[in-house]
Amino acid sequence: MHIQLSWEDPITEEQQEPIFPLPLAFGRDLSQLPSRWQGQEVSRAVFTSREVSRYHALIYCSENGQVIYEDRSANGSRINGKKIRQARQVLTGGEVVQFGPYNVTVSLVASADEDPDATLLTRAHRGTPTLLLEPPTDLIRPDTRTPIDIPPPSTVVFAPEQIVDSRAAGEFPPPQLFQAEHISLAALRATGLPVEESEYLALGGGIGSFVWVDTLRIHGVKPEQIRVISIAQKPYERYERLLNNCQIPRWKRIRSGSDSCPDNIWGWPGYALREAWRSFFSGRVLEALGFLWQVFSEPLLADTYTPRAGDVFTAMDREAARIGWEQMLCYGNIRAIRKTEDGRYVVAYSATRAGHTDHRFRVAKYVHLATGYPAIKLLKDLQEFREQTGDLKSVVHGYEPHSHVYEHLEKHGGTVLIRGFGIVASQVMERIYEARKVNPRISVVHLSRSPKSGNRFGRAKRAVENHWEFQPYNWPKATWGGDLRAMLEAATPLERRELLELWGGTTTASRRKWRRAVQEGLQQGWYSILFGKVEKVELDNKGKPVTYIQGTHNNTQVKVEADFVIDCTGLVSDPMTNPLLNDLISHYHLPLNPHGRLHVSNDFELVEMRNREGRMYAAGIITLGGPYAPVDTFLGLQYCAHRSVEHLVRVRAPGTKTLEGIGSLWQWCKWALNLKP
Amino acid sequence: MTPTLIGRWQTRIFLLSTVGVLASLPFYFGLTGHGGSFTYFWVLLYVGLFGCGWDVIYNYLMGYMWDHDWPGVLQLLAGIWEGLFLGTVLMVIGLPYIPTQDFYLVDFILHYGFVWVGIYLSSWVVMRILFPRWRFRGGEWLGKWPHSPS
Ligand SMILES: Cc1cc2nc3c(=O)[nH]c(=O)nc-3n(C[C@H](O)[C@H](O)[C@H](O)COP(=O)(O)OP(=O)(O)OC[C@H]3O[C@@H](n4cnc5c(N)ncnc54)[C@H](O)[C@@H]3O)c2cc1C
Repeated sequence: MHIQLSWEDPITEEQQEPIFPLPLAFGRDLSQLPSRWQGQEVSRAVFTSREVSRYHALIYCSENGQVIYEDRSANGSRINGKKIRQARQVLTGGEVVQFGPYNVTVSLVASADEDPDATLLTRAHRGTPTLLLEPPTDLIRPDTRTPIDIPPPSTVVFAPEQIVDSRAAGEFPPPQLFQAEHISLAALRATGLPVEESEYLALGGGIGSFVWVDTLRIHGVKPEQIRVISIAQKPYERYERLLNNCQIPRWKRIRSGSDSCPDNIWGWPGYALREAWRSFFSGRVLEALGFLWQVFSEPLLADTYTPRAGDVFTAMDREAARIGWEQMLCYGNIRAIRKTEDGRYVVAYSATRAGHTDHRFRVAKYVHLATGYPAIKLLKDLQEFREQTGDLKSVVHGYEPHSHVYEHLEKHGGTVLIRGFGIVASQVMERIYEARKVNPRISVVHLSRSPKSGNRFGRAKRAVENHWEFQPYNWPKATWGGDLRAMLEAATPLERRELLELWGGTTTASRRKWRRAVQEGLQQGWYSILFGKVEKVELDNKGKPVTYIQGTHNNTQVKVEADFVIDCTGLVSDPMTNPLLNDLISHYHLPLNPHGRLHVSNDFELVEMRNREGRMYAAGIITLGGPYAPVDTFLGLQYCAHRSVEHLVRVRAPGTKTLEGIGSLWQWCKWALNLKP
Repeated sequence: MTPTLIGRWQTRIFLLSTVGVLASLPFYFGLTGHGGSFTYFWVLLYVGLFGCGWDVIYNYLMGYMWDHDWPGVLQLLAGIWEGLFLGTVLMVIGLPYIPTQDFYLVDFILHYGFVWVGIYLSSWVVMRILFPRWRFRGGEWLGKWPHSPS
């Protein structure tokens, strides 16, 4: 008999589903877990939270074939919500076992029909060949890492640069040349391809690159010294595409603070003040006061203020023109990054456009890497469904275009199954609420692995209502600049992981409108929440996707027939799934943090990439799990930019000046007057 | 805002000794109330001294909020509470350099209110514009980022 534990990683939001042969011992401290029990070899799993005991519990098969959960902990466990401590209980499969911050669903699998893919996760998980879920005590060093292959493309098309990449592969960058640790400029020139040079180079050209370049410009660097390589014209291009897909057009509000302004490094005036200003002079005085009241009293007395997407983009356009973004932008697909022999970096990129191949190199001394999300992935069972049926219409991801779902529902009515409880799920719910005004014959089944009770940290508890967990932004606010930021930076990699587990998880913003939709839906019966773990999704004879769910009691099975299934779980942040990053990490043996993301210093430097005077930095989701929690947010990206540029000032990088006091005020005045920095 | 304790202290001291002093000048020169007096600066000092103590309590209370956040409305309540407390102490027992017979309630309310509004508004504006680091360091404007080990 084997046991499968499944849960969602609270930080990366990835599904974890390792399978262990019984008996299984788990706890916080590997050395406290027995390796043998009653003559049998024991599988061991380590969960790092301090709320888990050193040796928390043992799960074994009794003589009469029952599976027994034996709690041995100080704080106890909860099985389907019922507390047990220092006691035994029979498991029949499907139960949700809660210990510390973890909510783990247990499934019993006969050894024979074990899913070969499922164990893969465990092996990939820090490279232990046995079924041992052992977290590293520190950074993951390259020599202990098993190579992870780039997974086959998902059916969700997300990164156009990767598609072009695979089509135009071949002999660029020249494989022989790019095998070296350090490449000489002479060798680059000998290829006959153009070799361009600049002092600073931003890779990606999304919002992360934009705020870095903006910060550099305001710290004194001239546009001639900076180049940006991207396939996007506008810095918010990919972001806007994702917003559109998850039903947020320009006039809708995003999930961001008033002072998270990618167009203004000081955060003043924030979007609330600017919007209040505009409303006031358009004669809408009450509305203007409303915005000010929101920023004054949020989140205690009012919903948190958030700006409209369109206002953020307009402001970025203005700033882009001010700092000369287009002048610095080079169109291209980034293929590979290497160190050069003269203490710099070379980036091989392809500016190929239809019908005309154009391969180039660009050499720079200071490089910033912000390529955003590596991929979007469907939940495994949904991906299987799409592969088997070829049906890309009835099972969709919230981040891919899926307006046809709402059009169909408005015309014909129907049932939607939603997976995931984050911000995208809220948006989808809002959209369905609108659709119900056109056609009330629409119902929603919302699937959750386990009931939510709200994370705790110190004296505080996160708010929960109807199993939706609320938090204004995706991390507690003090992680951007308050005491939680300081605490995380001071912690060791493993302590960071623990803190992030307590602060993370899927949450949504508490907006009155959304909460009312959920409340009404529950009361009127068109919205229901179902608990359990999905076993499979299949096409029934009416051509609809049917989801088979293992309930939380006694291995019961529930079947949900729906017209559409919408996957509202997160995006993939594993850098190994991206060809460019995979190559960089493998080639230079870069260490990863305990979440398998790029390890950066507190200044966001990739320290192992240092090349004499040359420095390389990273920002965004690819650094998740490091010294700073909200890396994938506007303000977080500005923080990354701020730290790395202050670091550049310290190493006296050319053109950079300290920004403080009167100098800072002067730069702000230029911003306000829309003058070049 | 999401301050740290040290950040609260640093910001309070900085703003009282700049904006606070500026806002007290009209009172010192006797433009209002019972004629000019140096007492107004003693009041500033006490606002700072007691305030540093209150900050410890605010910092503790902030731990009850999931976001470890200190929104404007709490800043306002804290300002009212501190004013009430200091006003009562000055009126009933008095403090060194401000004897009760020199204490005029209306003058105190005017002065305290004016200083508080000045400080409140500039904590949103002045600090951010002068110190880009300030908002990422929980209100600490002094000092630089520590050198990270590498
Ligand atoms: C739906 C959604 C809503 C969000 N809402 C908010 C919000 O309200 N507030 C907030 O603060 N944050 C929000 N975020 C998070 C985050 O701020 C954005 O995702 C932001 O765009 C991240 O910026 P980035 O620079 O890291 O990545 P991106 O903006 O995605 O930029 C990366 C760029 O790199 C390019 N690129 C990648 N690889 C290559 C290559 N090999 N060659 C050439 N170019 C390449 C991509 O094309 C892209 O243009 C949201 C995220 C999502 C998905």
